[in-house]
Amino acid sequence: MPRLKSVWVYHVDAGSCNGCDIEVLDVLSPYYDIERLGVKVVPNPRHADALFITGPLTRQTRIMIRKAYEAMPPKPRIVVAIGTCASSGGIFYNSYALYNTSPQRGRDRLRSGGPEMVVPIDLYIPGCPPSPEEILYGVAQLLGIKEKKMKGEYWVALPPEEKPSKENEVEFKIPDRPIPLRYWLTLREELRRVVGYYDRDAVLNDFIELVGKAFESENPRENLRDLVTGYFLREKDSRIKVAMRFLENEFWRLYEEYNTLSRSLREKYPLTAGV
Amino acid sequence: MAEAISYTEKLKKWNRFEAEKFSKKAPVTTPYPFIEVEKPPEYRGIPHINPEKCIGCGACVNACPPDALIMEWDKEHGVKRLTYNAARCIRCARCIEVCPTGAMEPTTRFEVATDNKEDLVEVVEHRLAYCEECGEYLDFTERQIEYVRNILPKEIFDAYALEDRIKLTQEEKMRRTVAKLRETEGNVYPAFVLAGKPEKASGKGGEK
Repeated sequence: MPRLKSVWVYHVDAGSCNGCDIEVLDVLSPYYDIERLGVKVVPNPRHADALFITGPLTRQTRIMIRKAYEAMPPKPRIVVAIGTCASSGGIFYNSYALYNTSPQRGRDRLRSGGPEMVVPIDLYIPGCPPSPEEILYGVAQLLGIKEKKMKGEYWVALPPEEKPSKENEVEFKIPDRPIPLRYWLTLREELRRVVGYYDRDAVLNDFIELVGKAFESENPRENLRDLVTGYFLREKDSRIKVAMRFLENEFWRLYEEYNTLSRSLREKYPLTAGV
Repeated sequence: MAEAISYTEKLKKWNRFEAEKFSKKAPVTTPYPFIEVEKPPEYRGIPHINPEKCIGCGACVNACPPDALIMEWDKEHGVKRLTYNAARCIRCARCIEVCPTGAMEPTTRFEVATDNKEDLVEVVEHRLAYCEECGEYLDFTERQIEYVRNILPKEIFDAYALEDRIKLTQEEKMRRTVAKLRETEGNVYPAFVLAGKPEKASGKGGEK
């Protein structure tokens, strides 16, 4: 990519939902102020060095994008795809309204789709929508201020009990937890009803720590109740409090259910028989 | 306990870096491209697959709305590849929510702009389990079988004799069931129903 000093851009919409367009507006606002980097939005593609495309390239916009690209001066003629839709077709990639000529219908490894079907793209800025910092980072890369950080990864996940011999091979590990895996999985699934993905793992980790402590003593049920109450008093966030109480009830329900299950199984199948 | 800092507490810790230099009200332009900044902890950056924990079950593939995650099957070589492409990802975090092992990890990475789409691809290759009876690969990975061994209680393994059958293909299991049923005396189903279609001449009411 040629190194540029001040880029004049023409912003064109290829059927986007306007989320990315609003982020491009934010980049022009005083806080992010992209004009200090020499970037100026011009109203005509004939004055532009770069084309900012947002949107997944609908059939209606296909010719318009091509015309805007051809109207630009032949050098440097940079095309920047802003947003997930412009990078690959995004969530609309297999829609009937899109122009997508890729042979695998956008399901290949590069996820081809979007404006790259009609114009060559020099810079992809994925994000749905990309935050102003992401757009700033992309433009800074274009101007040579920042370096590229992403790199493709290829991991080989080894079967259990095999040691890695190459660099990209990875061993299988199940983390050690004080409660059996089936309790952990069920509790985690039940916890989705109370808290979101962001707090869930931290809350559950705290809870199974308490369970591990409670089962060291003789009377785990009362001990766990005390420990959870102590946690309850210390925590300020009411959602976490509710989640801890919920987990405690759920844990004892599961405990009884699994214990009776194993007992009833033994009654139902006294002899181990198989096919 | 130290880990479960609540959502609001976490937010309170994070602040725009100008807040240290100036007051919070100072209307300044961010010097961002010339310095390094961090996003707030609840910012949804691109997710990352942890290959240590991933078992290749494909729950994330089912959940992903824009097909940023796709499973590539290669049954001849006995592998399946979980491919993730950040160019298609809309950061909805559905994959993080459904992952049964916690292998999908949320990150706050936002500096993903690139000139080559190859940089956005992340692949985890899994090895499929092998059925020695019929010489074919199963639909499951070896890691999935190991995970199931850890989940299920031993009573269920004993009751259903799963240890003998867990590494067999579906067809082999059916074949064994048929053989078992044939052996059993006083069977309600006649043998030809289990073996295949009856001859046309004998028809429906031929043998009973």
